[in-house]
Amino acid sequence: MTTAPVVEVSGLTKTYGGVRAVDELSFTLDAGQIIGFLGPNGAGKSTTLRLLLGLASPTSGSALVLGRSYAELAEPARRVGAVLEHADFHPNRSGRAHLRVLALASAIDGARVEEVLELVELTAAADRKVGSYSLGMAQRLGLAAALLGDPTLLVLDEPINGLDPAGVHWLRAFLRRFADQGGAALVSSHVLAEVEQSVDRALVINGGRLLGDFSITEISRAGQSLEQAYLALTGAVAS
Amino acid sequence: MIRQLRSEIAKVTTTTTLIGMLAALAGLVALAIVVHTYALPVDRVATRTGQRELLTEVGVGLGGLFAALIGALSITTEFRTGTIRPTLLAAPRRSKVIVAKALTAFFTGAVAVLVSTGTASLTAAVSLRVRDLTSMSTTGDYVDLLAGGAVGGGLLGVLGLAVGAIIRAQVPTFVVLFTWLLFIENVLVELPHAHRFAPGALAQGLAAQDREGIIQTVWLSAVLLAVYACAAVVVSVAATNRRDVV
Repeated sequence: MTTAPVVEVSGLTKTYGGVRAVDELSFTLDAGQIIGFLGPNGAGKSTTLRLLLGLASPTSGSALVLGRSYAELAEPARRVGAVLEHADFHPNRSGRAHLRVLALASAIDGARVEEVLELVELTAAADRKVGSYSLGMAQRLGLAAALLGDPTLLVLDEPINGLDPAGVHWLRAFLRRFADQGGAALVSSHVLAEVEQSVDRALVINGGRLLGDFSITEISRAGQSLEQAYLALTGAVAS
Repeated sequence: MIRQLRSEIAKVTTTTTLIGMLAALAGLVALAIVVHTYALPVDRVATRTGQRELLTEVGVGLGGLFAALIGALSITTEFRTGTIRPTLLAAPRRSKVIVAKALTAFFTGAVAVLVSTGTASLTAAVSLRVRDLTSMSTTGDYVDLLAGGAVGGGLLGVLGLAVGAIIRAQVPTFVVLFTWLLFIENVLVELPHAHRFAPGALAQGLAAQDREGIIQTVWLSAVLLAVYACAAVVVSVAATNRRDVV
């Protein structure tokens, strides 16, 4: 029996004023997998994530989560957790209040707010205004928000920006545990060395187009690093 | 809808923005009333009509402006800080978010005008006494002012939210609201037949303001302002549904 993919992107295209930010992009993400979503600045990664999460509408094609568009998901916060920008907070609201606001919108129990604060080790700073948080603390608060609904899919845009080495180590272990328990994660990042240690597959895009889709194991077998494979792909486009 | 409404109320109560705005409003209203009760000639402020006009002009006028600004802040702040993204991820049906915000803006707008008219009434009572004048307003006048003003403020709050949802950017939204409520409506006073249909004038009509250029029927003012607010919400939902969130 085959299981439907957690994410199914098919012929996805997004045009802004005649410029194709995403161009006929297709890929799938299955349960238990972590995909690294790689590409230079302006490659179309963030746009793709926004299309997947229903924040932007595709010009053509589709981006489905668990077989439906994001807007059609029942209880989306319990299916998908996302961190798109580390600064998506009101600076005068406390970390705890930020999570509480999101929990109320998804009918998530207040006890879960305390659980995720504990999980990302922010309990002691939870009543401080988010404006006083360091970049790493803000990143961990974003992760806490993504985990509130105990989702099946995590969509993380540059999740290790601002994290200290312990935080990066924690995130890597957390993602592996999450995937081993049947979760799926789509992780956009520029830090190739870290991605190589964290993900099962890498998708490389540039100019909105998919340049490569390979498993990390395949690259290792070929005696290459992810960085070499990435540069070979994106360099070919640049030339 | 209930959960989104609870979330929106939590947003309003978990920052100091609303309290700060209400404190600023109360201070401005008190100052305006003191200045007017001292600066205006006795025959303007000694009569019931004059006092009622002053309380409505200042209380509902300034309160209505702040109601609209607070309504606009509730959505433009989300775009400015980026919290609109987690908001829409939790509730991807955008119409639900806008309607919940509109209900919250109605509530905060009503509170703004209650604070404003309450402050105006109390300050006027003290200020008139200091000037050896008697407060002529009746209980009925205060009921009209507070209850009618609160409904008017609530509806102006919804209009402010809708303008904010359509424009999105905070400063341009504020410029539009200030320009309309403080400038254009004041210019329209010279054209009473047009002025009476302006949102700010309708809010004053709801508080039973009795002067030229104001519809004298409270229910008609309420219906017209409610129609404006509903139409604005419909347009803002359509605009929010059509546009991407970056």
